[in-house]
This record gives sequence, structure tokens and C-alpha cells, in this order.
Amino acid sequence: MTDQIIPTKTIDERGKICPYPDVDTMTTLKKMKKGEILEVLVDYPLSVERIPRSAQKSGHKVLKVQQVDGPNHSILIEVLGLK
Amino acid sequence: MNAILSGLFVGVLFGFALQRGRFCMNSAFRDIILGKDFTLFKALSVAILVEMIGFSILAFTGTVTLAPKPLMWGANIVGGLVFGFGMVLAGGCASGITYRVGEGMMGALMAVLGFGLSALMAATGILNPILKSLQNTKIMTADDKPLTLANMAGVDLKIAMLVLAILIIVIWAVLALRNKSTEKSYGEKAKSLGEAIFKKGWKWFPTGIVVGLIGMLSFPLSAAAGRNYPLGITGGWVNIFQSLIKWQAVVEEKVKVTALSWEGAEVIGIVLGALVAALIAREFAIRAPEPKILLQTFVGGLLMGFGAMVSGGCNIGHILSGVPQLSIGSIVGGLSIILGGWTMAYFMFIRPMNA
Repeated sequence: MTDQIIPTKTIDERGKICPYPDVDTMTTLKKMKKGEILEVLVDYPLSVERIPRSAQKSGHKVLKVQQVDGPNHSILIEVLGLK
Repeated sequence: MNAILSGLFVGVLFGFALQRGRFCMNSAFRDIILGKDFTLFKALSVAILVEMIGFSILAFTGTVTLAPKPLMWGANIVGGLVFGFGMVLAGGCASGITYRVGEGMMGALMAVLGFGLSALMAATGILNPILKSLQNTKIMTADDKPLTLANMAGVDLKIAMLVLAILIIVIWAVLALRNKSTEKSYGEKAKSLGEAIFKKGWKWFPTGIVVGLIGMLSFPLSAAAGRNYPLGITGGWVNIFQSLIKWQAVVEEKVKVTALSWEGAEVIGIVLGALVAALIAREFAIRAPEPKILLQTFVGGLLMGFGAMVSGGCNIGHILSGVPQLSIGSIVGGLSIILGGWTMAYFMFIRPMNA
């Protein structure tokens, strides 16, 4: 989906209603190891904007937010550590 | 015909702004406890402040007669709590599920269907006796006026609205300047104003301003059509379903109408406005959650419809349109919605996340 960054794990949150994409992202990030990269596929506009915000607040690094096709977006987050 | 065009016009603007601003009160309140995210809450606050000043100006110029809803504490509390439970299940408040139908979201459509069904049941159907008894808790002022923060303090309403708004703005501005936060935005930056309006999501401040201005516009337009109130949603859906089913309801004046009303046209406009906004931004897609969640949103809608009818207002009727007019009923109703939402969000998301 993206040029160079290969995610460690991808979760597909497309079709899900608010706030499941956000909740699933945070739960998954908590279980991942530092340095790993999570890709979140999401088609809910509010979550596209909100997931990067909450990931950053929790201390992770948002690598990329990319519109793939229509409302479908790919968010790449590098797990950095705890809040 | 004039009333319908007027309602449609306001609705289309409102729906467009809701979609562009991702303005959903369910998220606005829930995000506070779920992620300590105040973005949408700030947008809502700006809208309310704009309306407090705007409605006050309209009242001072004699353009509108302010119309705060009366306090029916039993109905406001119970209806608000049930509405709050429902909106978290549905994944959206009343305006949220409405505009998201325009984005192609089937979960929202299921919620709307549940909403309309139970609202009708409460308005004129088998749940009406419950509504009647809960609404039998009305408390008015000594001269039979709806209770507001203003008349409780012995102050003229439009003056109170203006003064309170300015006070809150000053306090907020001082706090904001003291705590300069670094809010980073993601994705590519808009290259032009057109792109910022039509292709990218709006930031919270312009969203709040635009929604507040639309609220201001809606008041005189709706009043001219015989409905003396700003933006609303619940009555609109009830009116649409009743017009479609051609139902002669003989409960109260409001509900007897079977022709499309201003509010019904407004709600149709919201769906259309959001649809247009989504199409232009390439955010439209027919999408659906899994069956279990579709059932969940339907049940959420059922709770919301009942709650809104009983309470005499949904998040729009009470929080967006009633709170700026300092209606105690809307404040109580609004707080109950928030409390109900937080309770449901705690059990559905926060507790499992920290398990």
C-alpha cells in the first residue's frame, strides 16, 4: 500500500463504526513492541483525524497518513513507548 | 412550499458543515473520557457561544422571539440518560447518525430507522403513556414561563445570554493564551482555500463558527415557517416518517401535521448536504459494519428516539439550540445526555480497555 515502510502488523478497521477503529488501534498498540510499526486501514473520516492525535498523545510516532482510495486511508504508526 | 425550501436550504448547509467538520456530539463528549480529546467539544462550545451572541442579537433587533424549552425534570433526566445510552450504542448522536446516512454509512441508516420507529412509538404510539407521565414533571416560573438561568437570576434573557457568552469567551481566551498547546495535524496540507473547504476536514474553530452561524440563520427562517425554534432533528425525522406513512396523529398540534414540515425538510437537507460534501471530498462510500453491530446501532437508535421524544429534545434540540437560550430544561436534558453517554462508554470501552 505504501512505498517503503513495511508494517509489522496491519489491522483493517474499514466499515467499523465510531469509536471501534480508535479503540482497536489503541488496544493493538499497547500489545506491540517498541520499534514495531502498525498499519491501520480506516474509512471513517473522524478516526482518520483522531487516531493520529491519540497515537501521538500516547507517545507513539505517526509516520504517515495516506488517502488510498476514496474514504479509505492507511495510517502508519511506529510504536515508541508509553505515555 | 416556501417552508420546505427554507428548511431544505438550512439543512443542506448544516449537513455540509457537519460532514466537513466531522461534528458529532457523541464523539465530542465520549472522546473526553475515552482519549482526553477535547477537539469536538471545543467545536461544540464555539458553536454554542456563537449562538448565544447571535440569538441575543436577533432578539435585540426583534428578528426572533427567544423560545427556551420548559423544564420537565423527570422527562429531561430519564429521556436524556436513555438518549445518552443509545447514542453510544449507535455510534452517533441524532445529528451524527443523520449526516452519516449521507456519507453512505449503513450503521447510521439502521440507527435512523430505530430512531424513527421508537420516536413514533413515544409520540403517538404504545410508549406515549410513559412519555406523558414523565413529562408530567413540568416546573414553570411564577408567571408561567420556561425556567432559564436568566429568570432564575432575575435578569433579562437576551442580556444574560450576551453577558455570559462574553464572560466565557474572555475566560477561555485567557486560559488558551496561557497554555499554548502544540497541535500537530497529519496528512498533506491543503494547497488552496478551495481544497481546505471541500477536500480536507475542517479544524474545530471554523467548524464551530460555521455551525453557530447556521444555527443563527435557522432561527428566523424556521420561525417564519411557523416553528419558533432554531435547529432540530428529532421532530424532523418524526415528521418525515409520518408524512411517508400518511398518518393522522391527533396528539398535539405539532404532531398532527402529516405534510412535510420545515424541520422535516431540514433533516432531508442534512442528509443531502452531507452527501454532497462527502462526494466532493471523495469520502462517500456505501459501507457497513458486521451484522452484530448493525443490530447494535438499531437498538441504539431505538433508545435515542424514545429518549429524545420523552426529553423534548435531542442533542441538537437541547444542547445546540436550547443551552444557548439558557433553558434549564435543556441544560438538565443536555447534562443527562452526557452522563448517559459517559456511563455507556465506560462499560463498553473504558473498562474493557483497562482490563
